[in-house]
Amino acid sequence: METSELLQLAIAGLKNGSIYALLALGFTIVYAATNVINFAQGEFYMLGGMFAVYAFTQFELPLLVSVPLAVLVVAGIGMLFETLAIRPRKDAEPMALIIITVGGSLVFASLARHAFGSDALPLPEFTAGPSFLFAGAAIERQTVWIWGIVLVTVAGLTFLYSKTRLGRAMRACMQNREAARLMGIDTARVVMISFGLAAALGAVAGVAVTPLTSTRFDIGAGIAVKGFAAAILGGLGSPLAAVAGGLLLGLIEQAVIPFSSALKDVVALGVLLAVLFLRPQGLFRRARREKM
Amino acid sequence: MTETERVRDMHKRMWVMLVLALVLALVSAPLGGCTATSDGDGTPADAGDEPKEPYVVGAVLSLTGAQSGLGGPEKNAIDMEVARINEEGGINGHPLEVIIEDDASDVDQAIARTTKLIEQDGVVAIIGSTGTGQSMAMRDVIDAAGIPQVSLAGSLVITKDFDPLVFQTPWSNALVVDTTLEYLKAEGHTKVGLITEDTGFGKDGQALVNETAADYGLEVVSDQVFKPADTDMTGQLTVIKGAGADVVLMWSSVAASSIVPKNMAQLGMDIPLVGSHGIARQEFVDSAADAAEGVVMFAGKILAPEAYGVGSESYEAATAFIDRYTETYGEAPTNTFAGHAYDGLYLVVEALKRLDEGFTSADLRDEIEKTSGFAGIGGVFTFSATDHNGMTADDLVGYVASGGAWTLLE
Repeated sequence: METSELLQLAIAGLKNGSIYALLALGFTIVYAATNVINFAQGEFYMLGGMFAVYAFTQFELPLLVSVPLAVLVVAGIGMLFETLAIRPRKDAEPMALIIITVGGSLVFASLARHAFGSDALPLPEFTAGPSFLFAGAAIERQTVWIWGIVLVTVAGLTFLYSKTRLGRAMRACMQNREAARLMGIDTARVVMISFGLAAALGAVAGVAVTPLTSTRFDIGAGIAVKGFAAAILGGLGSPLAAVAGGLLLGLIEQAVIPFSSALKDVVALGVLLAVLFLRPQGLFRRARREKM
Repeated sequence: MTETERVRDMHKRMWVMLVLALVLALVSAPLGGCTATSDGDGTPADAGDEPKEPYVVGAVLSLTGAQSGLGGPEKNAIDMEVARINEEGGINGHPLEVIIEDDASDVDQAIARTTKLIEQDGVVAIIGSTGTGQSMAMRDVIDAAGIPQVSLAGSLVITKDFDPLVFQTPWSNALVVDTTLEYLKAEGHTKVGLITEDTGFGKDGQALVNETAADYGLEVVSDQVFKPADTDMTGQLTVIKGAGADVVLMWSSVAASSIVPKNMAQLGMDIPLVGSHGIARQEFVDSAADAAEGVVMFAGKILAPEAYGVGSESYEAATAFIDRYTETYGEAPTNTFAGHAYDGLYLVVEALKRLDEGFTSADLRDEIEKTSGFAGIGGVFTFSATDHNGMTADDLVGYVASGGAWTLLE
């Protein structure tokens, strides 16, 4: 196999991996605040694309407006979801809350089907034009956007966690919610904002991918599995680990393709299982003592 | 009201809202539990006599899930035609009732829905399912009950893995693969980069192309697969490009198919893309946008009715159907699936018309098999004891995506 082909596969892996990374970040943020895996995360991805297409085609808003608008609307939906569905049961077992998120995912997909129909809906690329050529491999313009978005997101989250009051409150909740509450942190607000942030990240991923794939009411569950796998690989810890988990998953998938594209998902999820057996804390996280 | 009471009251209201939302979700779809009855508003014309028992036919369609883009138009066609049949007096004075069940594009649901139709509703025949996997899975239930099934799915396996009870309305993959490979040969291609979807339909096409390519002087230089949920096929296409293919052949039907031409454009691949009849719908051209230009596929003639031959029986049936569909739903059918459902329904209805009162399901099966020269929308159907697909290569025509729509090739 030629170098340019290997490079092309690596580019595809990093592109898909970046999307998985954005979803993994959403899983990680909600998990940090609540110890809950939010299975509605994939629906935020779907809704991001849907609202962007809707604003762009129905209201004929420019992309520059429809895209941020869609992300904001979905962030609002994420906070609303937390307020209406999670908060009333906030003291329940994590398992009960996880089931609520599964229900939420079905509700979102069904509502989207009624609101937007069952056809795939396209969105133009952010900046149209031919791909960039790099050592015989092609990089689409939209991929450059996706990479840029991931970089900005990671930088933003790192800043949020280390430099802001809210970020410190979120980290305190991550370590011990009860203690954080006793220290005067408004934990309910932190949880709500975490959901909003996770929804926004899901929406950003969905909006960035829609020009490449079109969007449809039922795409949420499939992508959520990938994002969840990436989050587990990363260990549900720091934003950087989530991104590393996503990129790694994307690269593994592409590495399998030259041998058998039919086995792509099997091998990728096999690696995930192996990680769960050998390093349950994830690849990029030191083993922690069991929480009391 | 005390603080605790207020909080409790608020929680109660939230619960009510949550429960309402969940109920909405259950009613509206993915669990595949919904039933719709299609008996139209019409009453039999000879209502003077005492009304006769309705003929009850079941339909298992994929109204939700991955194949909802196919199942939706199929349901539209059946709803509309059943209403018309009843307005015109039903079948020999019997009103027609078609009970439509949603299998959610899921094999297990298809089995459950079929069982329900047979055991609870006592249907005389089953139309469906939309997908190959579901159609095959339903077979055990069909065989046990001994009632005829008219599948709307396009894989060869449905009629090749022969079951005397099972008929099929779309052109089988074998027919379309032959026509398509013939075209590739005529265009002077020799090296095929094959990409197929990981579904029953895709696997059927993949196996057929690999078996028969050599007969047309073609070599499959790369054999790639994608999942319906995939968002990027540049990896597979890179391998195809590296293998030196001079044409990409894509056998798929899911929405993700439209990503393939886009990825090819992004990779700067300038070899042609030829697809299957699974992409014979406007959704594919719309989603792939500019990248769809020049994509070729072979399918039935409904997308360009003049191909039937103006004035022919199929031309009249198809244009009348398109007119009614446009009037009822506000837009013409933009794919071939509504036509497959029309054919499936009328194959059963025409057979029922020819039968006397008190027929058995075995009689109905025999009568469907006797169908000869039925001018449907997919083509002209002539079944025999060994051919339950009943169409020929003459019923197919080539299309090329041009100017944002499927247009006749050449």
